Amino acid sequence: MAAVEVTDLHKKFDGVTALNGVSFSVNEGTLFGLIGADGAGKTTLLRILVTLISADRGSAVVLGNNVVTHLAAIRRQVGYMPQRFSLYQDLSVRENLLFFADVFGVAATERNSRMERLLSFSRLGPFQNRRAGHLSGGMKQKLALSCALIHTPRLLILDEPTTGVDPVSRNEFWEILFELKRGGITILVSTPYMDEAHLCDRLLLLHKGASMRTGAPAELLSTYPLALYKITGSSGSLTVLPETPLPRGVALMYPAAGALHAAVRDTIEPQLLLSQVKSFVPAAEAIETAEPTIEDLFFYLLSEKEAA
Amino acid sequence: MIRRMIAIAAKEFRHITRDWQTLMVVLILPLLMMFLFGYALTMDLIEVPVLIEDPVPGEESSRIAASIDATTMFRIAGNVTVASDAEDIFKRYHVKAIFRFPPHFSRDLRRSGHGGAPVQVLIDGSDPNVGTILRNAVEPLVLKATLDVMHIRQPAIVTVDHRVLYNQEQRSALYFVPGLMAIILLMISALLTSLAITREKELGTLEQLLVSPLRRSEIVVGKILPYIVLAAIDGTLILLVGYALFGVRVAGSILFLAAASVVYIFTSLAIGLLVSTVAKKQQQAMLIVLPATLLPTIILSGFIFPLASFPLALRCISAMVPATYFLQIIRGVILKGVGLAELWQPLAVLGGMGLFLVAVSVKKFKVRL
Repeated sequence: MAAVEVTDLHKKFDGVTALNGVSFSVNEGTLFGLIGADGAGKTTLLRILVTLISADRGSAVVLGNNVVTHLAAIRRQVGYMPQRFSLYQDLSVRENLLFFADVFGVAATERNSRMERLLSFSRLGPFQNRRAGHLSGGMKQKLALSCALIHTPRLLILDEPTTGVDPVSRNEFWEILFELKRGGITILVSTPYMDEAHLCDRLLLLHKGASMRTGAPAELLSTYPLALYKITGSSGSLTVLPETPLPRGVALMYPAAGALHAAVRDTIEPQLLLSQVKSFVPAAEAIETAEPTIEDLFFYLLSEKEAA
Repeated sequence: MIRRMIAIAAKEFRHITRDWQTLMVVLILPLLMMFLFGYALTMDLIEVPVLIEDPVPGEESSRIAASIDATTMFRIAGNVTVASDAEDIFKRYHVKAIFRFPPHFSRDLRRSGHGGAPVQVLIDGSDPNVGTILRNAVEPLVLKATLDVMHIRQPAIVTVDHRVLYNQEQRSALYFVPGLMAIILLMISALLTSLAITREKELGTLEQLLVSPLRRSEIVVGKILPYIVLAAIDGTLILLVGYALFGVRVAGSILFLAAASVVYIFTSLAIGLLVSTVAKKQQQAMLIVLPATLLPTIILSGFIFPLASFPLALRCISAMVPATYFLQIIRGVILKGVGLAELWQPLAVLGGMGLFLVAVSVKKFKVRL
């Protein structure tokens, strides 16, 4: 059974289209990623699923409950972590957890054991008396996650939980998500970081309120139709790309992770390509074939969209 | 249901106790206003400087002047024989009134068959309140002093024996303590409630509350509960200080006054609540609440200007101001010592207003963003 079933959702804000016919489904027990840049419509989509806003058209069913008619049932069974830190900064870690335990009606007998478990698994135990406002970015996110988990929800919806968090804390946060998934919770997470996409079981690539692709990361990457080359520099990273016509046969070229990625439609002699690139990026030195990532796929899909 | 409400209220209490700056304002503001009204802004005139112009000082005029000086209201700042330009004196000196005796005052007194001896009093009317009070005070004062000097008893044709009930000495404390109660309870309740709810909107915490199983009524009631307590503390503070420093005793039942105050606090909170359903930011809430509550409460409730002096349109507006009813109640209880039997009408109106506003607010409170 699908934990989330979305069909043809549309939403406009004051005439600006936020969602333009999105459909997907999330299977129970999976970690589903919503990938898209800022303004793609991720937050709008998630807010519709947690019943905070209503869609103009289309339907969404969460854990078997329609988001329009069964608000209360959804709110009881879903744990939601908004994009903005929205816990009480002047309350301590412990007080925040206690408050949400009471709000969600966690039985008093179970409350303490559950809190201890969440504190130890988020490693916030030593900080339990610290005010939330005085926590670091990563700890805040872990606290927010703990509060969203206090009522042991069946579905966890996280809106950009790792945005603005340092890389170490980001890794730790994903480790926690894997652990939760092993415990049987369905997780729907949005992120603007393409490098987090491969951590998910399935993905929805969202652009301007419309779905570009959905599927498992490997499955999506297997549809990548171009040959990809990675051009690296002699010293430091190649980040700037001058506005010049691309070399013949090159469909796309963009900076990625300190190197230049060149996507080529037909086969091409790599050294020839390198020398062509050198003419406008003198620092370019080596070339090698590269495996496409979700980011490469994203750039390809965007260019296809623009061409169409 | 109760547990969730208590959870919200307990959380709100924590917010209040941790925001000590606001807490200080809440506790000190009433005291500050009491001191201002009690000591600085008193309406009782004391030691107003006056000038005596007496071209030929005689025994009578001197003794009359002495008895003017003996009052608490006047103080003789100077004696002159000729005050040529009264306007110039008012402009250049702090003198508020000039008593002018004619040159032949003693003679005129004895020949009083011709309409009496004239004493002219010039009053500085630039402050209308002071002018009016002085005007009302001088005639009886001069008349009585003159009769005393001449050993004449007031001819008893008609004796108007006026006695003011409920505030015999017309002390202003008895007038401002109830008024301040009305203003401060309203301000604390309406402002803090509206801020407390818009703050959750502004900080995004409302988003988290809304996706919980909390009902609208639980959020609303849980959030206003602590402010009822806070306002009640303020009310108690005002009454205690009013009693200890200004000698204001509650003639009626304190219990009834407390109950009526809670009803008034409830209505005030409801105003704040309604504002918070409209305002998106704290600043916006403050800009709506302050003018919408303070202005009518000070001007239209009968605190400063008597209701009877209003034109019909203003009277209709003042009928919608909660403080209008609360002032009737609190003045009734403190001064007249009346209770529920006499005051059930304004109390019912207050309660009704509160219930209506809360109902509208809960209805308007959005369960979605």
